[in-house]
Amino acid sequence: MNHDALVAVARAVFEAAGGTPIDPDYVLPADIPLELSGEAVRARLCVFTDNRGAEMAMRPDLTLPVAQREAARLEAGPSAKTYTYAARAFRLPAAPDDPFEFTQVGLERFGYAAVPSADAELFALVHRAVEACGVSPKSIVTGDLAIFPAFIDALDLPSVTTDLLKRAFRQEGGVRAVLDAASRPLDTDVLAALDAPDAEVALGAVLTARVVPLVGARSLAEIIGGLRARRAAIEAGGLPDAARAALLALREVDCPLTDAPATLSALAKTYGLTGADAALGAFASRVEKILALVPGARRTAEFRAGFGRRFTYYDGFVFEVLAEGLAPTQPVAAGGRYDGLIAGLSGARVSATGIGGVVRPDRMVRVRRTGA
Amino acid sequence: MSRLTIAIPSKGRLKEQTEAWLASIGHPLRQIGGERGYSAEIDGLDAEVRLLSAREIAQGLIEGSLHFGVTGEDLLHDLAPDGPEDFRVLQRLGFGGADVVVAVPQAWFDVDSMADLEAAGAAFRKSHGRRLRVATKYLRLTRRYFAQKSVGEYRLVESAGATEAAPSTGSADVIVDITTTGATLKANGLKVLRDGVILQSEAAFTQSVRASFTGEARAVADTLVGAF
Repeated sequence: MNHDALVAVARAVFEAAGGTPIDPDYVLPADIPLELSGEAVRARLCVFTDNRGAEMAMRPDLTLPVAQREAARLEAGPSAKTYTYAARAFRLPAAPDDPFEFTQVGLERFGYAAVPSADAELFALVHRAVEACGVSPKSIVTGDLAIFPAFIDALDLPSVTTDLLKRAFRQEGGVRAVLDAASRPLDTDVLAALDAPDAEVALGAVLTARVVPLVGARSLAEIIGGLRARRAAIEAGGLPDAARAALLALREVDCPLTDAPATLSALAKTYGLTGADAALGAFASRVEKILALVPGARRTAEFRAGFGRRFTYYDGFVFEVLAEGLAPTQPVAAGGRYDGLIAGLSGARVSATGIGGVVRPDRMVRVRRTGA
Repeated sequence: MSRLTIAIPSKGRLKEQTEAWLASIGHPLRQIGGERGYSAEIDGLDAEVRLLSAREIAQGLIEGSLHFGVTGEDLLHDLAPDGPEDFRVLQRLGFGGADVVVAVPQAWFDVDSMADLEAAGAAFRKSHGRRLRVATKYLRLTRRYFAQKSVGEYRLVESAGATEAAPSTGSADVIVDITTTGATLKANGLKVLRDGVILQSEAAFTQSVRASFTGEARAVADTLVGAF
């Protein structure tokens, strides 16, 4: 099968699952991906400037423009909907053999219950599309971006530390710098202002006394908020050793998917994290359903606790399907859950659960060519 | 490009100091067509000499259209797509020194470090519904450093000049810019973060790693490098 034949095969699998075909806007305001995902995505984003100087971007995937349309549709009232597409997406190459543009064939579901069986069914569908294209997965990497936050919540730390840890998990570096910085002492005149009857007036007086102008978009109230968080972090005394050990142990988890529920439960038990039980129960249920629907995953699928933490708008189950002859950075299929995406795109005017997955026919052609 | 190509800054103090350095190693520069000419010769060297802006020199060294050049490390680091492996600094020249720094308003008493900036950025996004703006002309350098320091809550605003004024004019909240004494930053109500020095830059005699060196060019290069 050539590229177009693979596109047709994969598309038929997704259309049979009840997806309504959609081909949304090619061009988006660059603000949409950049505000949603941050500058980290800019390195891969095809950006140009329109005649008024506004930055626009070619769609880097189909999820964003489909979700943008869905957010607009939901303004009229909530209802669940499934979409499918076979459409071009555009990214600046990260490797010499990466194309600028490529076709993604995929499926997106919005507004359905975010339950383990929904994750498993979506995964099974994408897996079936890969197999229908004549490619047998060499390995499948899975992750769950809800597990780390659940462990952090179960550690029973002050909320300022909890927030820091959750953000640090999604960033490139480690958590140590974040925690150490927060616990450095503050100047005494600044601290005194925080306890004044009107903290804003008092901090304003500190500025005047130090001959410091207030420039930029952050207000005095926001600076006071930041100072109070710093003070709370100092009083909280950083991260207790047991909590640090628990998070380090969690980050190291890398095992066959079949073993993951037991591994994670044992970890939670060792550190007494009963608060993570609900998340771990949902996790175990999802693994069971995945293995029932895709028995081959018993052999090919693994779980990595840190996997997908840089996938910017995903917030739950995530997966990538790898095939023989391609680099680990070139999955033939990928997908996951993004329950916060619609809310993020609409400025929280509407919200809906979201889950989706895509296959890459251009890469599958390469796998088939190498004879694997 | 069989003949060796060397680029020298075309104007300003950087040019004068480069000329003085070349003279000091026994290869003085002779400009053709007077002060305003854009070609020159280097005494005792069979090489094509081009007078270019520091940015063009950095770009040419990275692309491989120049063999050698004198330019600022700040520009080399910023323009190199893959970082320091895209060029080879043979000699730091001890002039043109400046730091590339991350600076925020002095009034941000809660922000002293990159980690504090991350926290402020996250809170800012929650209350304003947009990300903190960082003005700079060093787009790649900034992106790389912010990622290394785990700061993701920001948007870059490309600045063409007078970056230090961006916070007071409201076009950005944070800047990444070059500074020598810090006086300009201070005058604009800004402070450098504790771990905000991204790069301590100097003018550097630099070799391209992409340019091809023929036997002839190699011999001239050896003469020049041998003179250091």
